[in-house]
Amino acid sequence: MKINQIYVNLPVKDIPKTKEFWSKLGFTFNEQISDERAVCVVMNDNIYVMFITEEYFQTFSERPVPKGDTTQVLIAISLNSREEVDNLVNTALENGATQHEEPQDHGWMYHNSFWDINGHGWNVTFADLSQMPSRP
Amino acid sequence: MKINQIYVNLPVKDVQKTREFWTKLGFSINEQFSDEKAVCVVMKEDHIYTMFLKEEFFQTFTDRPVAKGETTQTLLAIGVNSREEVDQVVKTAIENGGSTYSEPQDHGWMYQSAFSDLNGHQWEVMFADMSKLPTE
Repeated sequence: MKINQIYVNLPVKDIPKTKEFWSKLGFTFNEQISDERAVCVVMNDNIYVMFITEEYFQTFSERPVPKGDTTQVLIAISLNSREEVDNLVNTALENGATQHEEPQDHGWMYHNSFWDINGHGWNVTFADLSQMPSRP
Repeated sequence: MKINQIYVNLPVKDVQKTREFWTKLGFSINEQFSDEKAVCVVMKEDHIYTMFLKEEFFQTFTDRPVAKGETTQTLLAIGVNSREEVDQVVKTAIENGGSTYSEPQDHGWMYQSAFSDLNGHQWEVMFADMSKLPTE
């Protein structure tokens, strides 16, 4: 089984602020499926993140939207270089995000992380799989 | 800005049962990133992965408590290649301990059905023919 695309759907309080935040990070939007209740961030040709107002998000689930005091998901995204990783996280921090963990350098993998303005956790990584150590 | 890969990280109670569930749905496992604390499901090779992490391990990556399953922070929508695949995945999920939380929906250009997995994470499975997306 193979999927062809993924849409990660996350609840937010404010669509315009969310759109501004992700725009500053350098991402584009799929306007065709964005409106005042949802914004679709294009992460690549088959990976999208839909930020949906809490009220609208609630219509898709019987369970309440969490208040930001728990974590059900952490999303890791990978970029093409260490510089891109740091740039993205620094831009996020300059625009209202908060630092999550300190950057970690494993040699073959570098990662940095932030909590976005809606409290969702993002790990940003650059991995050079050719350098990944093999298991003993 | 374009990412090259996404890893959606979700907490689970039992890694082995989770591995069996997703294997039955037809997905393969990236063994290099799997061990007794985590299983990496390949959703689209080189691009889209879901990491299911034992709750105790997941907790080490976040300051906030792991959600207990009574709230919904994320809905994951995955695109497959046909209506038949949509129904097949959902049917297999339900036969293996998943449950439904909404009825299948047929929008003409898009067909979707949904299941809640063993761990209560909610998956929307869809087949979309973007060429038939109605214009406003």
